Amino acid sequence: MANLRDKYCIVGVGETAYTRNSGRTTRAMGVEAVRNAMNDAGLSPGDIDGMLSYHGNDSTSATAISSDLGIRVNFYMDVIGGGSSTEALIGMAMGVMEVGMCRTVAIFRSMNGYSEVRIGGTGARAATPVRGSELATRPYGMLSAGQNFAPTFMRHMHDYGTTSAQVAHVKVAHSKHASNNPKALLKQRVSVDDVLNSRWITKPLHLLDCCLETDNATCIIVTSADRAKDLRQRPIYIMGVAGRVSKPRADFHFVHGPISRVAGYYAKDIVFPMAGIGPEDVDVTGSYDAFTFTTMLQLEEYGFCKKGEGGTYVSSGIIELGGQRPNNTSGGHLCEGYTHGMNMVIENTRQLRGLVDDYCPRWQDGIHTYDYSEGQCRQVKDPEITMNLGWANPTTGSALILRR
Amino acid sequence: MQAQHRGMNLIVPDNDTEWKGYFEAAREHRLVMKQCRNCDLLRYPPGAACPWCTSLEWIWQDVTGKGTIHSYEIVMQAIQAGFREWAPYPVVLVELDEQRGQPSADEGLRLISNLVSDDFTAEKEENVAIGKRVEVTFLDVSPEFSLPLFKLSQEPPQGPVWQFK
Repeated sequence: MANLRDKYCIVGVGETAYTRNSGRTTRAMGVEAVRNAMNDAGLSPGDIDGMLSYHGNDSTSATAISSDLGIRVNFYMDVIGGGSSTEALIGMAMGVMEVGMCRTVAIFRSMNGYSEVRIGGTGARAATPVRGSELATRPYGMLSAGQNFAPTFMRHMHDYGTTSAQVAHVKVAHSKHASNNPKALLKQRVSVDDVLNSRWITKPLHLLDCCLETDNATCIIVTSADRAKDLRQRPIYIMGVAGRVSKPRADFHFVHGPISRVAGYYAKDIVFPMAGIGPEDVDVTGSYDAFTFTTMLQLEEYGFCKKGEGGTYVSSGIIELGGQRPNNTSGGHLCEGYTHGMNMVIENTRQLRGLVDDYCPRWQDGIHTYDYSEGQCRQVKDPEITMNLGWANPTTGSALILRR
Repeated sequence: MQAQHRGMNLIVPDNDTEWKGYFEAAREHRLVMKQCRNCDLLRYPPGAACPWCTSLEWIWQDVTGKGTIHSYEIVMQAIQAGFREWAPYPVVLVELDEQRGQPSADEGLRLISNLVSDDFTAEKEENVAIGKRVEVTFLDVSPEFSLPLFKLSQEPPQGPVWQFK
């Protein structure tokens, strides 16, 4: 099969406000996000003929969203999935267009992740009967994402000497970025001590090591590079994608170690050759921050530093705005809001356009101050290439490389 | 089989070909693994085929229930309501002695469980560490249902002991 590098583009992005009490349906939010992305791209309902979404039985079907907006689709699917689905669905959209099933695909995720179906597993999710594969973990009080991932981080600390203070720098960096993001749910900058002094959730995780449950909807529109040329925004080219790549024994990854290894170990060998670049060519990363340590684990697994040196990498200043390779410049899941990965791809798209919505008075004209002090700029200067590292869990991940 | 445990409804239907034999053995206080009848490898969790040779034929094989803590966490804030009074509690990843490093170096029979003391209270945090030796014990949740848990054994640790500070 031919390499599809640079053949498809992200042409529109949009979202709703990030809140903890949307007061409306996932349908209403999803419609707004798709509409915002259409307006961003300069597309009308008749231009969209494909729709993809992902959900955990907590969202609205593409049939409802497309109908409300008067879109008749030639292709749609609602896929069950959480984190790392964003990049995977972008890859699926490319494939669907490549075989001619449709021409332009809107990908959305809509969830009342705080006010309705709580992502952390509390409420209704904690009360469901325990059967099948859940019998391996839930009877032992292991249910939430934090509880499921913690032994991986603990073993990494054991294997490599990684510390809580090192990964706390991820929260510090992302809070710095969020302080320059008017959309961010948490805009206050925090220190390493703030993270270490926040209450324990499950040792080794503090409260501030964990992301935010959030109500929101998000949308990304993908079409061919040919069609992208005539649209409102500068096309952002998809150089490479890897979707939901998994470790062996994905049903229970603990049995196939090293358990401190994550799926990027396998995904990197797909996405980098496809894009024809290496980690050293990437200007901005979007390493999924379900927790501080998930950002760290993926950055090292994809080769932004040596395996085992992720703690040093994330605490070195490299990942902060003004550093060599900032990560999650919107504040990500730890500070902007939790979207199962969508907002990190949206942010990187805006970075490559030079149109990040910060507090610079003329950001809409692409004019930025590059002053990264609090309440100012979060645009990286002239980024050429960004990379998203999507995370579902230690065993499954996705990756996406974009260029301007 | 069905049981109420810490507010959860645990269900093992008669047609649960993965878990039924596991919990039938647990009721007799035996820890068993599925063993492939073709290549003899043990597997956990009890999936429907052998992940190394795809054989669909298996038997339940007793294991010693002895192992080593491979990783762990101390849950401070319980998510499930029934665990709130039990927190803080340790969740341990136990690597059993059988089939360590087989069929490849990084593989093993590893189970998630709780580390408990002799009276089935949560083991104290200061006693939980990677490398410590453990053995299976069974909590009788009801006359029909027992849950495999682990407790510290008298054996010396496996290599250096490591604890989160």
